[in-house]
Amino acid sequence: MKSVQFSVASRREGDAAIIYPKGYLNNLSGENLVIECGIYIGKGITKIVVNFSETDLINSIGISMLLQIIEDLKNIKGTICCTNMSKLLRDTFEMLGLMQHMLVFPVESDALTYLKTGKL
Amino acid sequence: MSTELKKALYNISALADLGQAITSENDFHEKIQSVLYVITGTFLANKGALLFYDKTTNKLSTLTQKGFAPADLNRLNPKELMSLGRNEPYLIGDDPVLAVAGAEILTPLWVRDEFIGALLLSGKLTVGPYTLEDLELLNVIANQIAIALNNHSLFMDLSDKLEENRKLYEEMRHIYHGTLQAFAAAIDAKDAYTKNHSHRVAKYSAAIARELGWDEHEIEGMYVAGYLHDVGKLAISNTLLNKVTPFTPEERAEIRKHSTLSHSITAKIKFPWKNVEDIVWHHHERLDGRGYPEALAQESLSDGVRILSLADSFDAMTSQRPYREKMDVQSAIGELRKNLESQFDHKVMLVFCKVLDKEIKGELPEPDILPHLDRDSDLSVISALLEGIIAELSTP
Ligand SMILES: [Fe+2]
Ligand SMILES: [Fe+2]
Repeated sequence: MKSVQFSVASRREGDAAIIYPKGYLNNLSGENLVIECGIYIGKGITKIVVNFSETDLINSIGISMLLQIIEDLKNIKGTICCTNMSKLLRDTFEMLGLMQHMLVFPVESDALTYLKTGKL
Repeated sequence: MSTELKKALYNISALADLGQAITSENDFHEKIQSVLYVITGTFLANKGALLFYDKTTNKLSTLTQKGFAPADLNRLNPKELMSLGRNEPYLIGDDPVLAVAGAEILTPLWVRDEFIGALLLSGKLTVGPYTLEDLELLNVIANQIAIALNNHSLFMDLSDKLEENRKLYEEMRHIYHGTLQAFAAAIDAKDAYTKNHSHRVAKYSAAIARELGWDEHEIEGMYVAGYLHDVGKLAISNTLLNKVTPFTPEERAEIRKHSTLSHSITAKIKFPWKNVEDIVWHHHERLDGRGYPEALAQESLSDGVRILSLADSFDAMTSQRPYREKMDVQSAIGELRKNLESQFDHKVMLVFCKVLDKEIKGELPEPDILPHLDRDSDLSVISALLEGIIAELSTP
């Protein structure tokens, strides 16, 4: 099975953090995504946007990582927004019933607007 | 694709992920961690633990876990776990003895008569209960990780129980085959008319490969390719597959997508056999290049493809379809014969005729093809026909 080296970048915008996973979320290196979110949560951030524009493949391991982030944010009454998801990713989340546990926006700026103003 | 099918495919790829995690070259701890992630991700459980039973100390130790309180896990009594069903998921409910805060389901891991440990999972993030399918899948997964853990402990013992390891490997292959068969049954069930088609094509293909002198490993790969060749049909609508009236060009194009889909599904699975995904991809190609999806011809078609193509066509012809009656065996053989060189391979045809003829004459102890043929067939007529073709194809 081919595997693209997974990496994570991030930036802050106001009181939100935006996370950019890059590559396939299908092995242990996906833990970096959980760690990255954990760092922001540790700093008191409760709003996290995950921009999936560079991740189009996720397997059960990746789903498990995502569950962890959802759970961590739930514990602090935070918000997770997912944006720029491929159809495959959206279909998978939908089928698994994950959509109810996150806010989904077509693009990152929509999510940021929502988090800032509470409106779309 | 319906949600059920999507879920089924997700579960199947989870099994592939599990196989990948177990056989990866990571060190033991990383493997175990990946295994737990695969399981929690598959069932959407936010807590999970893998416990290992140490015979010498009679204690359970935590190999890896997330979300549970360590003290709760340490309190679990191995004796209590051993009294539960082997590799059978157990719903803890309010069982006081097995209570671990947050745990909902416990699966004791066994390899034959040996207790290996346990797998603990919380409820699902999505709140819904574990379904029957979930429990079945969990049972398959439990079997696999029990064997993986046991192999590891045997290895750690440094005892040279080579024979035992070989048996375990056999068992693991058995389970793997069981999973594939369940998979094939799901494919065949979609289409009322193709009941057992995958099973028969697997048998026929393996019989031809054996007669060609392939080794056991290669034969097994051929068998698996036979099982999975139409797996892409899982993604095609039932209404279309069971349509009685002739297909429109668009519908035909839609159905023809199945071999490419079979390829993309099998390509995700790390098989111990070479070429499975190539064989399923090209099972509708023809020697004259007029097949699909890639219109490959002649040398571009591997022996595996040539075998599967003939086995598949033979079974299709001898089975009833919504839009036509089935052919009798003689006519089907005549049809293969007529399309030699344009569609079917000369050598494969010769070998197929030889196996079938041997089976009819009772020269093979375990016939693979004969038991599936129409009971009303006149075997002496078929045998005479086969002898004629064998003689003809054997002369250069
Ligand atoms: Fe097919
Ligand atoms: Fe077929």
